[in-house]
Amino acid sequence: MTAPSPAPHKMSARDVSVFYGDNHAVRGVSIDIDMDKVTAFIGPSGCGKSTFLRTFNRMNDTIASARVTGEITLDGEDIYSPNMDVVQLRARVGMVFQKPNPFPKSIFENVAYGPRIHGLASSKTDLEGIVERSLKRAGLWEEVKDRLSDSGTALSGGQQQRLCIARAIAVDPEVILMDEPASALDPIATAKIEELIHELRGRYAIVIVTHNMQQAARVSQRTAFFHLGHLVEYGETDNLFTAPREERTKDYITGRYG
Amino acid sequence: MNPFALSFLILGLGLIGWLTARARALRFDRGGAKRLHSLPAQHGWFVAMWTMLPPLLFLVVWSAVTPGLVRQTVLQSPAAAGLSDFAFERDSVLAQAREVARNPFDTEADPLARKLAPVVRDARSRYAWTGAIAAILLAFAGAVFALSRIRADFRARSKVERTLMMGLLVASLIAILTTLGIFASLFWESTRFFGQVPITQFLFGTHWSPQVIDAKNPGASLGAVPLFWGTFFIGAVIAMLVAIPFGLMSAVYLTQYASATTRRWMKPTLEMLAGVPTVVYGYFAALTVAPAVRKLAVALGDQFASSESALAAGLVMGVMIIPFVSSMADDSLAAVPSSMRDGSLAMGATTSETISRVLIPAALPGVVAGVLLAVSRAIGETMIVVMAASGAATITLNPLQSATTVTKQIVDLLTGEAEFDSPKTLAAFALGLTLFVITLLLNIVALRVVKRYREAYD
Amino acid sequence: MTKPAASQAERRPTDWKSAGMQKRIRRRYAAERRFRMLGAGAVILSAAFLGFLLLTMVAQGWRGFTVTEIALPIDLKVAGLKVERAQLATPAADLALAGAGLEDAVENAAIRAFGAEGGTYLAPSAWLAVREAVKRDPSLLENRAIVHVPAATGFDQALAGDGDAAMEAGVARLRRQGAIARDFNWAFLHESDSTDPVAVGIWGALKGSLLTMAITFLIAFPVGVLSAIYLEEYAPKNRWTDLIEVSINNLAAVPSIIFGLLGLAVFLGTWQIGGHVYGPMLPRSAPLVGGVTLALMIMPVIVIASRNAIKGVPPSIRDAALGIGASPIQVVFHHVLPLAMPGILTGTIIGMARALGETAPLLLIGMRAFIVTAPGGFTDPATVLPVQIFLWSDEVSRGFVEKTSAAILVLLAVLLAMNGLAIYLRNKFETRWQ
Repeated sequence: MTAPSPAPHKMSARDVSVFYGDNHAVRGVSIDIDMDKVTAFIGPSGCGKSTFLRTFNRMNDTIASARVTGEITLDGEDIYSPNMDVVQLRARVGMVFQKPNPFPKSIFENVAYGPRIHGLASSKTDLEGIVERSLKRAGLWEEVKDRLSDSGTALSGGQQQRLCIARAIAVDPEVILMDEPASALDPIATAKIEELIHELRGRYAIVIVTHNMQQAARVSQRTAFFHLGHLVEYGETDNLFTAPREERTKDYITGRYG
Repeated sequence: MNPFALSFLILGLGLIGWLTARARALRFDRGGAKRLHSLPAQHGWFVAMWTMLPPLLFLVVWSAVTPGLVRQTVLQSPAAAGLSDFAFERDSVLAQAREVARNPFDTEADPLARKLAPVVRDARSRYAWTGAIAAILLAFAGAVFALSRIRADFRARSKVERTLMMGLLVASLIAILTTLGIFASLFWESTRFFGQVPITQFLFGTHWSPQVIDAKNPGASLGAVPLFWGTFFIGAVIAMLVAIPFGLMSAVYLTQYASATTRRWMKPTLEMLAGVPTVVYGYFAALTVAPAVRKLAVALGDQFASSESALAAGLVMGVMIIPFVSSMADDSLAAVPSSMRDGSLAMGATTSETISRVLIPAALPGVVAGVLLAVSRAIGETMIVVMAASGAATITLNPLQSATTVTKQIVDLLTGEAEFDSPKTLAAFALGLTLFVITLLLNIVALRVVKRYREAYD
Repeated sequence: MTKPAASQAERRPTDWKSAGMQKRIRRRYAAERRFRMLGAGAVILSAAFLGFLLLTMVAQGWRGFTVTEIALPIDLKVAGLKVERAQLATPAADLALAGAGLEDAVENAAIRAFGAEGGTYLAPSAWLAVREAVKRDPSLLENRAIVHVPAATGFDQALAGDGDAAMEAGVARLRRQGAIARDFNWAFLHESDSTDPVAVGIWGALKGSLLTMAITFLIAFPVGVLSAIYLEEYAPKNRWTDLIEVSINNLAAVPSIIFGLLGLAVFLGTWQIGGHVYGPMLPRSAPLVGGVTLALMIMPVIVIASRNAIKGVPPSIRDAALGIGASPIQVVFHHVLPLAMPGILTGTIIGMARALGETAPLLLIGMRAFIVTAPGGFTDPATVLPVQIFLWSDEVSRGFVEKTSAAILVLLAVLLAMNGLAIYLRNKFETRWQ
């Protein structure tokens, strides 16, 4: 059940399962992610969509009891192979979390954090350029350009989340994973984030987890529906919402459960 | 009469009072269907309280004044005529007499003490019996008074509970009394000291040699700057150079890297370092560490290296402080939300980059507060410096040389045989006051920082 | 290596596979390993210090629990001791035996058995061992017998390979004669201080500690628990309550030596009230003074622990009791307090352990007396175990080193037992409700 795509896929998952101790959270999921597309994962809470998302940059490694089987590739390379360097992987596959989590540093330092640790900037001017470009892409530059040395935690919730997005794009990733990025925000801030996702689409492969079906319909080109750890249906967003192939998908999008 | 036997007797009387009152209360005429305000047992408690509290309070006061009374009686007895006029000698003979009174077969006592012993024994037993009889009379009086008050409509429960509440309040006031007591006694003795030595001379003078005090100008040899420097050098510099890196890195390792098993075993092990009595550290510092440090100094070319170096005391003190820094750092790191850690790791940072660039900066206020508390502990620590540091007050930057501290000097000043009014003795209280004020300030600042930091993440 | 994206004109995409980047990554991983090793090193070194300290104490201290004894052949009939057998059962026996010249008789026996230097091999207290033996078995007065007596400090040191030449020779000689024995040093557990390291014991100091701790407990426990109850359950929110809380929190952090100054000034100083001078409130160097001083010191510890334990009792229990008409006092004393008791006891034990190991304040209030007999009561001059350790550590005689370490081992064992009990209590009752 892969979506049709002529070019080689940016990321592919094949028969991926995730276990938390004895809990089988994700069951044999296969999916392809492509550049210049937004892919949305939807499904009722506890369906494994966030857990699955975290396997794409190996964030499940930070949980001692988590175990991943199956294969996930980035540009054809297995990211769980011993040759794959997790530090580089996470630089290439960035992540934005549900709750905005800016570091308790200045706005500038928040964005400069990634380039600094990865050694991406050749000079101070270069670093300033990266920070400015990232903040501009995240649509935050106009609001913060005069107070870059203020603490990142002093911003509003929506601004904090855009700061986190700017922080993620500062290391020039290829894929951006977003774990319910707007669920902690008010409607206006949510609208801004969605607009931003639209603008970012051309440069990155974006995967967004959301429990909000309207949001998925608004921002994504492809949608995957998860239920009880299974990938139920994956396809073009328009098709999935207008003509779901599976009964369970139909039940969910018509509000039968969830 | 043995005070324990007496206390038990009074407790027994209280029990009898309790039983009697309860029995009477059970037989009260209820006057119809109305319930009694208080249960029979509460009437019992009312009587038991009146039976026991007055005599027990009396006994506490009595036992506090008895030694003075015994001493008075002995000194006035004809047998005491041969006693020396010197307070020290007289007290020594009296102490021996007390000893002989307890153990008549003590063969080595002073002959005069042996003569005084029967007087001591008589006076003691006389006052003990007086006290015992008075206490028992008080118990009976209280019991009779209380029994005469209980009636069917008597509100025994309210009385008992009010007394208990008073007890609770008095107990919690003891903390304030202690604080006041500390401040008042330090302040009072210090004022007397500053009456003899100008405060500026004490606080800013750089010469400290209390062994040779010029009676005309005592302040000239009581300048405390070398002590302040030594305290700072040993407690806040050398000890912290050990405690901060070790404590911080231990906390980081145990919270961020170690497996659950390692953490379960190593955390209590490190905490044991805080449970070792300071006298043991002092002994270890003096016997094992100081000679090693001296050997090191000699190897480095300092032929006259001190065997009471600042380094030895500071090193051991630092080890003692490790668990304090470690547990404060542990708490502060645990208070940093885990989303910070995830955020940094998701950027591709390694664990160590996450720790040193995100977690520790985020936990910094808590860590700083912990260090302030650790410094306050270190400069108030006594036994290690008493046993391993030097008594010579020098201002030096060389850790291999000797340095002395405020606490060491307090002990030295007060453990010699000195009269209570001399500037030498009073200087100890002035040092104590300085120490008290400084540790108090450190603690207040640290608690503020911690509180504000907690609020920031709540 | 990535697909060139048309819109990334400003900056070339990062080439993660480039040699420079690979080198940088390797460097970062090396730093990571170094950091991790630093952390592990800090933990291991700290633990190693503890281990080293304990091992040093055991290595130095185990010998303190043993005593070197010399099998002394003695014939009191030859010495011509004039003592009636009947006297030996009376309290006057000690005086009679001393008066009859037993001490000289013992020394002479040693010279006869071990040569001219023989007397110096025996501890000064050796004749006391003979005295006790005679009291136990009066037939010794008539018969030749072998009595085991403690050896002198110098002899003991020579046996450990750390003595002077004369003693080394003595050790060699007695070894040939088979007259040296090592035995468990019971005297160390039931004797008190002495000027002679082979004769010292810790019982006097241990009993002083027990008496002091009894006073500390009797004051600090009730006062601490009652204030905790007041502050947690009844205290109104006002400035007085704040003042009490601030006092308790600050007292918990006041250096212990300050409490010594307080004890010295308040309990032992002279007071001038209304023109009259009042003498010390309490006797000097008595467990009573030490106990009161330490009680004030650990009370905040008990208050803080008790408050946490009381806070841990769920409000539903209070509501249930209040709901059936119990008065606020009954709620606390019948329901809350029993449930909070394990936590309170744990805190109390930890506080008591701290008091037991405390030295500095007791030094100031003079509990550093030279105590030859164990204190009989709360007002007798006494010393405590940590102070005894401090006093012995100051002694010049080499023999005191092993005794000091042995006393430290006893102190550490008691503290370990107390802390073990606290941990046991905490684990057993910790998860009663969640």
